[in-house]
Amino acid sequence: MTDEQSTTGAVLVVGGGISGLTAALEAAEVGKDVFLVEKGASFGGRVAQLNQYFPKLCPPSCGLEINFRRVRDNRRIRTYSMTTVKSVSGAQGNYEVTLETAPRYVNSNCTACGDCSAACPDERDNDFNFGMDKTKAAYLPHEMAFPRRYVIDKNALSAAGAEAVKSACKYDAIDLDMQAQTRTINVASIVWATGWTPYDATKMENLKFGQSQSIVTNMMIERMAAPSGPTGGKIVRPGDDKEIESIAFVQCAGSRDENHLEYCSHICCMATFKQMSYVREQYPDAKIYVFYIDLRTPGKYEKFREARMADENATFIKGKVADIAIEADGSVTVTAENALTAEKISQQVDMAVLATGMQPNFAIEQAPADLQIDSNGFVISDPNSAMISAGCAKKAADVVTCTQSSTAAALKAIQVSRR
Amino acid sequence: MIVQPDLEFIKSLKEAGGDTLKKCYQCATCSVMCPLSKEGKPFPRKEMIWAQWGMKDQLLNDPDVFLCHQCGDCTANCPRGAKPGDVLSAIRSYAYTFYGWPKPLAKLASSAKGLPMMIGIPVVIIFIMWLLAGATHIPSKEQFANIGYTNFFGHWEFKWYAKNIFFIVLIMVPSLGLGLFSAFMGVKKMWSTMAKQAGVTNSFRPSAVQFTKEFLWPSLVEIIKHNRFNECGTHLDRVRGHLPLMLSFIGLFIVTLWSLLKQDVLGLIWPSLHGPLPLMDPFKLLANVSAIALLFGIVVLWNNRKKAEAELDTQATFYDWFLIWEITAVGVTGLGAELLRWGGMPTLGYIIYFLHLVSVMMLFLYLPYTKLAHLVYRTTAYAFEKYRESQFVKAE
Repeated sequence: MTDEQSTTGAVLVVGGGISGLTAALEAAEVGKDVFLVEKGASFGGRVAQLNQYFPKLCPPSCGLEINFRRVRDNRRIRTYSMTTVKSVSGAQGNYEVTLETAPRYVNSNCTACGDCSAACPDERDNDFNFGMDKTKAAYLPHEMAFPRRYVIDKNALSAAGAEAVKSACKYDAIDLDMQAQTRTINVASIVWATGWTPYDATKMENLKFGQSQSIVTNMMIERMAAPSGPTGGKIVRPGDDKEIESIAFVQCAGSRDENHLEYCSHICCMATFKQMSYVREQYPDAKIYVFYIDLRTPGKYEKFREARMADENATFIKGKVADIAIEADGSVTVTAENALTAEKISQQVDMAVLATGMQPNFAIEQAPADLQIDSNGFVISDPNSAMISAGCAKKAADVVTCTQSSTAAALKAIQVSRR
Repeated sequence: MIVQPDLEFIKSLKEAGGDTLKKCYQCATCSVMCPLSKEGKPFPRKEMIWAQWGMKDQLLNDPDVFLCHQCGDCTANCPRGAKPGDVLSAIRSYAYTFYGWPKPLAKLASSAKGLPMMIGIPVVIIFIMWLLAGATHIPSKEQFANIGYTNFFGHWEFKWYAKNIFFIVLIMVPSLGLGLFSAFMGVKKMWSTMAKQAGVTNSFRPSAVQFTKEFLWPSLVEIIKHNRFNECGTHLDRVRGHLPLMLSFIGLFIVTLWSLLKQDVLGLIWPSLHGPLPLMDPFKLLANVSAIALLFGIVVLWNNRKKAEAELDTQATFYDWFLIWEITAVGVTGLGAELLRWGGMPTLGYIIYFLHLVSVMMLFLYLPYTKLAHLVYRTTAYAFEKYRESQFVKAE
């Protein structure tokens, strides 16, 4: 079987985060043709947003850079950023997939010199930093973006801005008339590595996210702690930049809750332990309060927990925070019942961190293919139809588990494409 | 601590609407969400684990179980659907049976299996009384218009005390007496176990006057004003039904007291006071207004209950529905008998009046064992809570 790209028995990997990159590389490096599509402007996914990631607390440049390099060097992988799957037809072994690439308004002449951004007078909310700062309307998705090419947010660009960026570009790379592009590919199997989105914290009305700058999410802390983040790596209270004297971590914010996410997101406890380290490095005397239902430290992480719990200025309270009150001085008071002492506790802190869980993206948007999806939005692998799930599209997991499941998915995709 | 789980206890909670209790994983959201839970040691999280472990004694000694008004805020926000509000209701249901005296009657009133007997007892007693009274005939239309139901149990010439009143007192006073005595015994037992649990020694005891003034009266004021009920979020609608219902009970209580005084005391002096009250008599007005408030209240509560069962998946239990049916029966038969009197339909009127007597007797007789028992037990828990916080206990 041959198609217009001369690929036979190719594998489509949907999603270019750590899981999609891994699955694509594993399949390509044993000789399969791979299409790797990513809806964002850069590959790297959620890992790119972290300050450090498990198991070794590496910065994301550590794992992503080597993967990007492997992808770049591998002629069997065709990458498409800003691209989504529109429709899938056919059957196992012979799928016809329609892809749509959104206009980037910057073509491949771009050298990422940054002149357009410098000249651009317009700004947009930086979604990569969860809206904590702004970028220009012509921007590089993030520090280590791959492909290393600028992108223009046309909705945020004024007429004057359009003129400015165009005249600033020395390479004729800006094309504001670019249209969305559709292409059809034929593949034998599809790996769904569509990842996750932090659960919308505004849905927990009692936790008042969005009503006070002092209430942030765990992913916002990652961005703050990251050197490339909105505060240059300093964890401070958004808004007034107050240094942290006390901080509360609110575990299971929307997780293990049938009104929100009914499952455990697996890694939020560990994320909190990790973020305790960020706080402790910057503020040796800050009071840290962790409110939890159960502390879950999967696999080899038990020692990590022990070390954090030995911190003298850290208090662990077994009880879910069920109410957050906003104080006049900008601080917040979190309230819980300590189930071990049966006493109600109200603790005023400078900042409350909601440890929100992972919601699979197909819980938020409709899957473009006929997939088996469980009630929570996770994709169930179906080798018979050659639809394989990987990473956090399969289940909430840490990076190690994701790369393992992606390798497994690549193997399964190869097997079924050979039938 | 060695926990001796009482499996029978857990089973009975599940039957009484607490079937979800094992779902609780102790996150304690409920204790913070509860608008009635005080600072310090909140509820209902601790009650949930006691219930899961079958720690019956802890629960029966715990005033918090009775201070819960089943607002439903805990249940609505529970991440596991463990429905703490419904579980506490089931614990109360168990407690009323546990504290009930005499035991067989308490047991009888605890499940739908006992319902035929529960209805049968008053039916038989009142029917026998009716036969014994020898007034076994239905009046003509003309007679009925004049005398109404005042000759239900017949008439004798002893003008100082009407035969009808004699029989009604003979039936109702022992019923209410038994109910009140049993309630008193239960409350007394509950108070002493709660005091023991709370570590109260009796070096300083309030006098009866002090007790009434400092603990009981403020509790009653709080209850009548529905202060705590009004803090509820999810089931706040219930106040719209409960308040008129409670006021109607107070209204009907006043009317009954007046009637008793008028017929049984003043009637001895002025025999003309016997007989039905004229329509414009202030007490008759109060009675009618109360009857309408009662029916309005019970319709609201009936609908709320149905809605909770449909929308919140609340279990339909005998414990909850018995009281709703019972009060509906009292209201419908009472007002029905009056309307039939005005309509001049003696036969049907007599049957409905008979059923009215049956339903009222049931209300009195089963007061301390069914949901109506909250009247005494919750009031006691209010008073105990105030007592526990008072100098009588704190000073020790």
